[in-house]
Amino acid sequence: MYGRGVYALRDVSLTIAKSDFVFLTGPSGAGKSTLLRLLLRQEVPTGGTVAVGGHDLARLSLRQVQRYRRTLGFVFQDFKLMPDRTVQENVGLVSRVLGETSVQQQRRVYQVLKWVGLQHRMNAYPVELSGGEQQRVAIARALVNEPSLILADEPTGNLDPDLSLEIMNLFRDINARGTTVLVATHDRELIRRVARRTITLDHGRVVEAG
Amino acid sequence: MHWIRYSFREAGRALWRQRGTAALSVLTIGAAILVLGGFLLASVTLDRAMARWSAAAEFSIYLRDDITPDQRSAINRMLTGSPLVASRDYVSREEALKRFTRDFPDLAAGLSGTAQSPLPASIELRLKPQRADAAAVDALAREMRPAAGVSDVRFDRRWLERLARMAAAIQWVGWGLGAVLLLAAALTVATVVRLSLHARRDEVEVMQLMGAPLGLLRGPLVVEGILQGGLGAALALVVLGAAFAVGQHQLAADLGAILDPSLVAFLPPSLWAALVAGGMVVGGLGGVLAARHVR
Repeated sequence: MYGRGVYALRDVSLTIAKSDFVFLTGPSGAGKSTLLRLLLRQEVPTGGTVAVGGHDLARLSLRQVQRYRRTLGFVFQDFKLMPDRTVQENVGLVSRVLGETSVQQQRRVYQVLKWVGLQHRMNAYPVELSGGEQQRVAIARALVNEPSLILADEPTGNLDPDLSLEIMNLFRDINARGTTVLVATHDRELIRRVARRTITLDHGRVVEAG
Repeated sequence: MHWIRYSFREAGRALWRQRGTAALSVLTIGAAILVLGGFLLASVTLDRAMARWSAAAEFSIYLRDDITPDQRSAINRMLTGSPLVASRDYVSREEALKRFTRDFPDLAAGLSGTAQSPLPASIELRLKPQRADAAAVDALAREMRPAAGVSDVRFDRRWLERLARMAAAIQWVGWGLGAVLLLAAALTVATVVRLSLHARRDEVEVMQLMGAPLGLLRGPLVVEGILQGGLGAALALVVLGAAFAVGQHQLAADLGAILDPSLVAFLPPSLWAALVAGGMVVGGLGGVLAARHVR
């Protein structure tokens, strides 16, 4: 709940199973991003519980929040790539956070870039890549620490329909390896074409749980 | 270890990325350290001069014309037992006249007709600078003045005391001005580092969401401040050194009349290190102020 009695999410009760692929949809202001922020533990709910893997996120200490986030991957609509760093450095940011040696970093970064089909652009800067390639770099960055849960907020919002489908196929492949995927999007056509479980929010409430 | 390497690499990258604003911050710290260093240089030079002048200052015991050998022996014993006295010279009446004639030839003409030197014999003392504080010298004068055979005791200390008070005042003004400028410098660094944080906000957000420890997020900001402080202080030392060299060269003739050239030396390396360390601490403090915004 925000101040002055305005609810971002209300009476939301949801369970997402391990290794599930779920779309979160609804109009702007429905509460999709807020739900993702709760799962990223950027926010804590004013009431109720958000639990991941049996842990109530609101009860985690700062260190536990850091450890928890290392088990997540996330993808933004605007990619959030560092413009002054190469593809390799952008993807390697996670390994750096994990304190890996540069040899370990390079090996892991190469593997994940190969998986998203960008190993040949390792030394390119984001500005030299197309929108679809930039999003694939962002996905590689999300995958590099082998997360158990991937959260994506409008990951195809800046892409054309063909590229959007290409990115969704990547998410499907990730999910096929056992990673839980939660994608927030308002693109109904894309949801129809990918055909996975869909949770629809409107005015902060669940109106359809798939 | 990788945190430290990462912090230095990122801080260096941030400094290069916003080299314009970073230069402003470096110059601000440099100006503060320059002022502080200038006062320190003046203070160190005055301290050296005071020590030399204190050691050279004459403490003269004038002897009565009718002093007996026993009274002279007693005075010598008193001086031998004093912890203040480094050395002493007996100046006979004839020697005193010879010196007067040499130092004041115009006035000496008036004394040329006298059969005997009208000047009294004296004992000139060199005092130990580390022991010859005002109270100890006063005590020695009080002890010697009533001794049998002594006509007067003189010590040219008053102007030294005035100089010491002036040196202390210069030091206080320097510390006060330096403290204000350093505070301003720390706030400038904090602002510049916050600008750097703003430029890196996406990266910081991404790293927070990756679960990066606070140290990894804040470290580069603190190191950025430390580097700015260190660079500023180093720059200040170079400017101060250059100004000192030019000033010493140009004022050599004037200074030579007042000061022994050997007293005028640049700050010792221990003070260079202290100034650079001080700059780094001030810069680091600015970095810490900025880093507190990352939670």
